[in-house]
Amino acid sequence: MRKLLFALAGVVAMSAAQASATDYKIMAPAAPGGGWDQTARAMQTVLQDEKISNSVQVTNVPGAGGAIGIAQFVNTAKGDPSQLMISGFVMVGALLTNNSPVTLDQVTPIARLTGEYEALVVPANSDIKDMAGLVEKLKADPGSVSWGGGSAGGTDHITAGLIAKAVGVDPTKVNYIAFSGGGEALAAILGGQVTAGISGYGEFESQIKAGQLRLIGISSDERLEGIDAPTFKESGVDVAIQNWRMVAAAPGLSDEQKAAVGADVEKMAQSDAWKKILADKGWADTYLAGDAFAAQLKQDIDSTTAILKEIGLVK
Amino acid sequence: MSDTRPSEADRPGQERRPDMGALAIAAGLAIISVVIAWNTATMGGVASYSRVGPTAFPYAIAAVLFVLAIWTAVEAWRGDFPEREADNIPPILWIVGGLAAQMLLLKVAGFSIATGLLFALTARGFGRGPLWKTVPIGIVISLAIWFIFSRGLQLSLPAGPLENLL
Amino acid sequence: MDTFLLLGQGFLVAFELQNLLYALIGVTLGTAVGVLPGIGPALTVALLLPVTYKLDPAGSLIMFAGIYYGGMYGGSTTSILLNTPGESASIVTALEGNKMARKGRGGPALATSAIGSFVAGLIATMGLALIAPTIVRFALSFGPAEYFALMVLAFMTVSAAFGDSTLRGLTALFIGLTLGLVGIDLQTGQARLAFGIPDLLDGIEVTTLAVAMFAVGETLSVAASKRSADEKIEPVKGSVWMSREDWSRSWKPWLRGTAIGFPIGAMPAGGAEIGTFLSYSVEKQLARKPEEFGNGAIEGVAGPEAANNASAAGTLVPLLTLGLPTTATAAIMLAGFQQFGLQPGPLLFANNPQLVWGLIASLLVANLMLLVLNLPLIGLWVRLLSIPKPWLYAGILVFATLGTVGANPSSFELGMLLAFGLLGYLLRRFGYPIAPVVVGLILGPLAEQQLRRALAISQGDPTVLVHSPIAIVLLLLAAAAVIVPLILRARGKGKVLAQLAADED
Repeated sequence: MRKLLFALAGVVAMSAAQASATDYKIMAPAAPGGGWDQTARAMQTVLQDEKISNSVQVTNVPGAGGAIGIAQFVNTAKGDPSQLMISGFVMVGALLTNNSPVTLDQVTPIARLTGEYEALVVPANSDIKDMAGLVEKLKADPGSVSWGGGSAGGTDHITAGLIAKAVGVDPTKVNYIAFSGGGEALAAILGGQVTAGISGYGEFESQIKAGQLRLIGISSDERLEGIDAPTFKESGVDVAIQNWRMVAAAPGLSDEQKAAVGADVEKMAQSDAWKKILADKGWADTYLAGDAFAAQLKQDIDSTTAILKEIGLVK
Repeated sequence: MSDTRPSEADRPGQERRPDMGALAIAAGLAIISVVIAWNTATMGGVASYSRVGPTAFPYAIAAVLFVLAIWTAVEAWRGDFPEREADNIPPILWIVGGLAAQMLLLKVAGFSIATGLLFALTARGFGRGPLWKTVPIGIVISLAIWFIFSRGLQLSLPAGPLENLL
Repeated sequence: MDTFLLLGQGFLVAFELQNLLYALIGVTLGTAVGVLPGIGPALTVALLLPVTYKLDPAGSLIMFAGIYYGGMYGGSTTSILLNTPGESASIVTALEGNKMARKGRGGPALATSAIGSFVAGLIATMGLALIAPTIVRFALSFGPAEYFALMVLAFMTVSAAFGDSTLRGLTALFIGLTLGLVGIDLQTGQARLAFGIPDLLDGIEVTTLAVAMFAVGETLSVAASKRSADEKIEPVKGSVWMSREDWSRSWKPWLRGTAIGFPIGAMPAGGAEIGTFLSYSVEKQLARKPEEFGNGAIEGVAGPEAANNASAAGTLVPLLTLGLPTTATAAIMLAGFQQFGLQPGPLLFANNPQLVWGLIASLLVANLMLLVLNLPLIGLWVRLLSIPKPWLYAGILVFATLGTVGANPSSFELGMLLAFGLLGYLLRRFGYPIAPVVVGLILGPLAEQQLRRALAISQGDPTVLVHSPIAIVLLLLAAAAVIVPLILRARGKGKVLAQLAADED
C-alpha cells in the first residue's frame, strides 16, 4: 500500500504541474512515523498554514535506507518542480553500502533543514542503567547487545559502530538489526526485542517522557537543554555525530524552477511556525541552502564513505 | 519471468502420456531455478555483518523450484495432469493485442483512445464486433470514465488529444 | 465509565444532520475511488483528504471516516462481483465471493460482507475502547521470532487452499515466493532479481499481481474456452437478500474473523492480509459443509471480510495508545488529525480524549451509513452480472487497467499486468491454483525479514524460534494444520478433502 501511495505522488504531481505550481508532493522515503516522515509532515503543515502552497501531500516509500524511494523519485519525478523528497545523512550511507545505482548526485539538493542528535535508549525495565552498563556488556560479548535502529549503513548503524570502536570493540562485530522505519523499530525496542535502540532523539521523545524508555546517552558535543541525559563524551565514549535532514527536488529542473522551489523552502524555513515545530520536536535548525549546501553535501558524502570503510561496512 | 514461460505450442494429445505442455512447464521451472541461483551467485556486495544474508532465501527457493521441476517432469511423463480443453488461440491474441495496444498508446494517444481500443479488442475476442462500431463506443465510454475520475475525483489519468478537448 | 461518556458525546456530534450529510458525501466519494482495483483505502484517503480540510473539525473527522470506510467497502464489492480484488486485504474475499456471485448469490455475498464488516467494526471499536492497553501489550510481545511463527502458520494454513494437487499448489506458492524476491533487500539494501531494471527495484506490487492473475487471467481463460464462453451467468438465483441459512452460517465467522483480525491488526508488523488468510483457513476447517469451499461458501466471505475490518480498527490500537502509525492508512489518519493539533504519542488518549473519541464515534457512524446506503443498492449491483459476457469482460479489463494506471501511470506496470495475466491464464489451463502465487508474494518477504532479524538477534542460534510460548503455540498450530489433513486423508477421506480444496480461482 505504501508503494501505491508513492505511485499516487507521481499521478497527482502530473496534474498538479498542469494546474498550479504551488501544490507540492513530498516523498518521505521511509515508513510512516520515522524521522523523514516527521520532517515531511512538518513541512506539509507549515507550507499549508503559511499559505506558501495550496495543498501538500506526503507519501511514504520505505525500504533500504531510502534507496527504494530515491530510485522511484529519480525515475518518476524527473523535470517536475512540484515534487520534493526528504533525504538525509542516513541515505548517504545507505546508498553507499547498497551499491545503489541511484545516488544523491542525481537529485537537485535544495536545502539542509534540520539536524538531530542520536539518542541511545533501553526499555524502562532493562537491567542496563547507564552508558557504562552498556559498554560493559558490549565489551564482554559484542554479539549479545542487539541494536535496533534504521536501515543498514545509516546514521544509527554508523553511530553504533563508532561507539563500539571508541570502547575498543571490533565494529564489525556489532549486532545491528535494521528496521524499515522509526515506528517498527520503536515497537521492537518497547517490546524488549532488542537490547538497545539507537535513533534520533525526536523519535523516542514521547516514549522517554512517558517513562517507557530510558535515555542513556546522546550524541551531541555538549549537554542539550531540556534533555536529561549525559552526552556520549561525558560517559567516556568519544563519539559525537549529527544526523541532518535535507529536502531535495527532482532531477532535470531549470534554474528558474530551482530558484522557485528554493524560495518557497526558504520562506518556510524562516517562518515562525517552522521554528516552533523544530523547538517542539527537539530538532536543531541547521538551514543551509544554495552552493554552500551543495559543497557541504559533497563533503559529507566523502567523509561518510571514509567512516563506513573504517567500520567495515563498505569495502 | 515471462521469458522463461513455456510456449503455447503444446496440445493435449489423444493419448494422455507424456504431456508435452506439462514437460515444458517443468523445463520452465528448471530455468527459473537456474536463473535465481545464477543471479544470486553473481550478486556481489558486502553485507558481511548480517548472519543470514540476502542470499539464503534465493538459494533455498531455487533449490525447491528445481525439485519441483523434476517432480513436474515425472508427473508430466506419467500424464497425471488434468485434461485440458483444446486451445483456442484467436481470442487470446485479440485480448493480448488489446492490452498491448493500451500499454503502447497510453502515453501517446491518451487514456481514452488507448483504453477504447482495449475495450473493442476484448469484445472482439469474445466474438463481438465489428470493430468500426466497437472502437468508437469504447472510446466514448473511456472518455466518460476519464472525465469522472480525472476531473471529478482527482485521479490523474494520462491525457491525449481527446482529453484536451474537454 | 468515563470512556462511554466521551463516546456518547462523540455520537451526539456525529448524529447532527449536517454531519450525517458529510458522512454521506464521504462514503460516496470513498466508494467511488476505492472501488478501483489497485487503489486501496490508504490511497483513497490520501487522494480525498484535502477535501476535508475546508470543514470544521467535527465535520472533517466524519467525512474522513466516511472516505476511509467507503474505500474499504469498494474493494470488497469488486472482489465479489468482478473477481478483481481492489486491495490486498480483499484478495481472499474474491475466492468464495466471486464463486457465489456466479451462482446467482452475489446478493447474499455482498450482504454478508457489508454486515460482517459493520459487526466487526463495532466489536473491534468496543475492544479499542475497553482493552486497548492489554492488546497493545500482547502486540508488543511479538518479536521477530513470533512474527516468523505467525508467518509459518499463515503459510501452512493457506496450503489448505492449494487445491487437489500438492505438486501444483507448491509450485504456485514458489512462483509467488520467487516474485517476492524481486527488488531491494531490506536488511542489506542489495538488489535481487532486478536485472538492472529500476522499475523492479521496489519489487512487484501485490495488487498488480492480484488484478492480473484474477481479472486478466480469468478473462483470457474464459475467452479461450468454448465451454465457459457459452456458459450463462445468472445474476440472481433465489433471493437477493440473505436467507435464514445464510444468517446462521455467517454470524459465527463474523465473530471469529473479528477475533482473528483485531489483534493481528494491532501488531506493528501484522498486516490485514494475514488476518484474512487465517480467517479463511479457520472457516474452511470449521465449516459444516466444507465441500462448498472453492464453490462459493458464504463463510469464506463472512470471516475474511470481518477480519479485514477488525484489523483496520486494530491498527488504531498502537496509533492511539503508543502513537505508532503502523500502516500507511494510520499514518495518513495521523496527518489528517494533526490539523486539529492532535499530537501522536503515548499520551494521546489522556490529552485529547474528545478528538479521539469523536474519531471513534465517527468511524462507527460512517460504518453504519455505509450499511444503510449499500444494502438497498445490492440488488442493483448484482445486475451488473447480467451484462452479456463480451461487454462484461471488456468492462472488467477497462476497469482493471484503470486502477493500475490510476495508481501508477507507467507502461511498465501495464506490461507487468499483461505478463502476469498470461501467467495466470497458463496456470489455470494446467490446473494450478492461483491464490498461492499471491500468498507467496505477500508472505514470503515478510517471513524472510522476520527470520533474518530473529537469527541476527540470537546470534545465529535457531532455538530462538521456539523460545517463547507464543511462538511455540503458533508453530504447533501450523504443524496441526499440516498433520490433521494428512491423518484424515490416511483414513480414506481423501476424496472429501480433495473436493474441499477444489480449485478456487
